[in-house]
Amino acid sequence: MTVNRFLRAGILFPLVLIIVTTIYLGAALGIESQFSSPEEISPRAIPMLTAWLMYLALLVVLFQELRSGPGDADQPDGGSFLRPALVLVATAAYILLFRPLGYSLSTVLFVGALFIVFGFETHRPLRFALYAIAVTATFYGLFAFVFGVRLPAIPGFVS
Amino acid sequence: MDTFFILLGGFGALADWTVLGFMVGGFLIGTFFGAMPGLTSVLAIALLLPITYTIDVVPALVMCASIFMAGMYSGSITATTINIPGAPSSVMTAIEGHQLMKKGSGANALGHAALASMIGGSIGAVLLMAFMPIAAQISLLIRTPGKFSLVLFALVVIIIVDRGAIAKGVVATLLGVMFATVGIDVLLPIPRFNFGTETLVQGIDIMPIVIGAFAISEVLIQAQNWRASSGVVDAETKDMKIRRRDFIPPLSEIRRIGFVTYVKSAFIGYGIGILPGAGGSMAAFVSYATARGASRYPEEYGNGSREGIAAAESANNSMCGGAFVPMLMFGIPGDPTTAIVLGVLVINGLQPGPRLLENQADLIAPMFASLFLSALVLIPLTLFLFGPYFVRIVSIPKGLLYSAIAVVALVGSYVATYSVFQMSLAVGFGLLAYVMRRQNYSTVSMLLGFILGPDLEQYLRRSLSLSDGNPMVFLTNLDSLFFLTLTALFVYMILFRTRKKPIVP
Repeated sequence: MTVNRFLRAGILFPLVLIIVTTIYLGAALGIESQFSSPEEISPRAIPMLTAWLMYLALLVVLFQELRSGPGDADQPDGGSFLRPALVLVATAAYILLFRPLGYSLSTVLFVGALFIVFGFETHRPLRFALYAIAVTATFYGLFAFVFGVRLPAIPGFVS
Repeated sequence: MDTFFILLGGFGALADWTVLGFMVGGFLIGTFFGAMPGLTSVLAIALLLPITYTIDVVPALVMCASIFMAGMYSGSITATTINIPGAPSSVMTAIEGHQLMKKGSGANALGHAALASMIGGSIGAVLLMAFMPIAAQISLLIRTPGKFSLVLFALVVIIIVDRGAIAKGVVATLLGVMFATVGIDVLLPIPRFNFGTETLVQGIDIMPIVIGAFAISEVLIQAQNWRASSGVVDAETKDMKIRRRDFIPPLSEIRRIGFVTYVKSAFIGYGIGILPGAGGSMAAFVSYATARGASRYPEEYGNGSREGIAAAESANNSMCGGAFVPMLMFGIPGDPTTAIVLGVLVINGLQPGPRLLENQADLIAPMFASLFLSALVLIPLTLFLFGPYFVRIVSIPKGLLYSAIAVVALVGSYVATYSVFQMSLAVGFGLLAYVMRRQNYSTVSMLLGFILGPDLEQYLRRSLSLSDGNPMVFLTNLDSLFFLTLTALFVYMILFRTRKKPIVP
């Protein structure tokens, strides 16, 4: 029970931000200026001030979170984290394959993966495939023909 | 006066078929995104931001203005038909509009919403064109310490107005400021926070932050909240027959609402639009509450008041004009949409400020004209042409919609700079924004912190440098003192007065 109280997202997120702020502050301390005169504020002053204010605000957030206990934000609408995680995996794969496979192939696969995550037309394979191709083709037309953008081609083909 | 006539000349630019096409296209996109629950005009502009790299600045700005106006109006469509506001600014319209819908007067409610949006939006655009030259003159009087205090005022207002979670608002804003410090220092040629990489020396571009915060995070949120039944309209609503002539509000009802209500609400909306961070929701609420207080028929409120719809819709559309004033004159966006429009200006090498109006009025004047024509012509025209089909917008399968949004967001991030790194950055910011939204941290505050952070730092360092490091310069300088007093007053009004009497709907 006590472990859950401290490991929920409302507490974890500010803790992660404290670590990020510490890295930021460390980097700020390493900023050296050879140009500024003594009466000028150095380029590291504002980042350092920002970091200290961030610590202060995060401590207030942590205090408020500990006082309030687990709230609605930790159980958002009863939704599952699996779907967003799958969307992220599909997106990461899309970015990795975007150039090697080219726009058309990687986008059809990406759209297909998202259709599965969102449960769209999964029981009708023909429609599923046609919609995936249609989305890919529509945005190819928009970017390549309307806005004249050069998108990566399938290896061996000219875009 | 000359500048006012130059601004009027912006209408001439809309005679170009390409520019006109972008205005109408933008309006239709804005209407679709505004009408679809869960999607907003901010998302529409965010998705189109990368495209602005490839088109001229005039059509880009014209399109942004028409999306802004359309999104503000079209939120009333689903608010009325299915009681789900398409945009947060349409909550008050949902209260009254859906009551009328249940009484069989849905088309009439949509007609009143469109009429008020048309009047409010047009007045807001005219006020924008009329007062921009005056605002430019005023902005010339503000010196560096005053500019620092003004930016500080904007940040404080953004934090305290947004959601009421002050500490989280501060965290989100400071996070934006931290991202903004990555890259070359604002005054000296010194790289900061590049962690030994060359890529980060150039700093973080606004585009991946906007795409991540508004598009990727939305897809992740929808993935989490996805239900097989979401977006299904009940059969009765779906089969409802709406005739086009039902959209035209009878003159007797317009007289009953009164010309004063429309105009007063438009002025309230415009005034609230000028305040940083306030936005359409606050404009609609304050105007609705004011109209209710002064109404001859207060008993109708909550039971389908046409006056309530008129007050809310006139104000939130007029807000569009007001929100452009601080953005164009001081680089301080009034809301997330104008923050992205500021990004479009910067991408195209335009710097906000009085010089923008002096030297490049021909570039921004078509945007004002687009705002005006979108309100005056496109709102009633769209309702008349597409009104009977509006209710079916929500029937579009969410799986298809969000998959398409994900593709536009990611490919858009790529095409802006032809960089896979930008795509990865957008996804990174998307994940961060997703966690922030789930934990009630405002992503809008993060974006505005990112935009205003460099200005705050620059003005602070310049002011102190000019006064030999004496911080009293902020109190001895009259314009600075004015904004600091205004900040203190605002904090008192919002934090202490509203604790006694809540004003948030």
